Amino acid sequence: MRYKETGEVHMDFHRTTNGTIGYLRKTYGEQFLDEVFRRTAQDVYRSIHADLKRGDPEQLVEHWSYFFDREKGEYLIERKGEEIRMTVKRCPAIAYLQGRGIEIDPAFCRQTVVVNAALAEGTPFNIVTEVLGGGRCVQTIRRVKK
Amino acid sequence: MIPSDHFVRFYNEVFKALEARGHECLVAYWRELGRLQSVELADRFRAGGLKAALEYWKRIVIEENCESSIEDHGDYLEFRMIRCPSLSKVLDNDASPCEFYCDHCMGWVEPVMKASGLYAVMDMESRTEPHCTFRVFSDKAKAMEFERKARLLSKPYDAAAAPAGHSTLHRRAADTQHQD
Repeated sequence: MRYKETGEVHMDFHRTTNGTIGYLRKTYGEQFLDEVFRRTAQDVYRSIHADLKRGDPEQLVEHWSYFFDREKGEYLIERKGEEIRMTVKRCPAIAYLQGRGIEIDPAFCRQTVVVNAALAEGTPFNIVTEVLGGGRCVQTIRRVKK
Repeated sequence: MIPSDHFVRFYNEVFKALEARGHECLVAYWRELGRLQSVELADRFRAGGLKAALEYWKRIVIEENCESSIEDHGDYLEFRMIRCPSLSKVLDNDASPCEFYCDHCMGWVEPVMKASGLYAVMDMESRTEPHCTFRVFSDKAKAMEFERKARLLSKPYDAAAAPAGHSTLHRRAADTQHQD
């Protein structure tokens, strides 16, 4: 895995992410915000994207589980045929913000939706995020081409 | 979810996207960060002065895994960053760093200081190496004296007025001062 941080976790960065998303959305619009997430997916996570292009989703699955464990999220990863599904029961970012009474920007979950979609671009996979609300979602990697 | 461990790399993408729209867009964002941080910190710093600022940065040193020293010198506190975790991550990154990455720090600190009646000076020392020296003073004259000795002063809001050549603007009449 390209990035594998250890040591303290500074959860308050989720507050800054939330504020930044709200600022970009209100000032420049959702398209601009999405383009920043797209660049994050394909440039920062270039290594994950490159693996997906080669048909290998394992770095992305390891990334999900490693960082959800570090932030004490509740989730379940299941594999069935050509599909890998992560069911998030408690998103640590949403839980952190809710726990402090911070208003969550309506576009907050686009960080997940757009990053997943952009990671799938040009790869044999679709990565779909179903946002269920209340810090729950389902993220599915599905192979669509051989 | 973008993990909190990866926030600064996302932040760096935000900076680059704003800079591409115009340097004033990047500066306006720093101003917004300063506004948000002032809500969190200004009352505490105004009431507790340097001691409150010292406590805040002592906690940040631990939470953000800083390799640094922080010392109380009575009329100022000095935060010597030996290895900045933020710039280190931006450099350990498959995406390119924003040229003005380090300036975001004074970008939020300066408005907080103004709202708190304190004076901060940031000597970035380098934009490409993760170390810097940051002092907070209660006395403006002493802050200005330290500013004159800085190798690479961070003045994000002054630079906004003259973005051309921004990156070299504060390299000071430079090194002349530093030879003192």
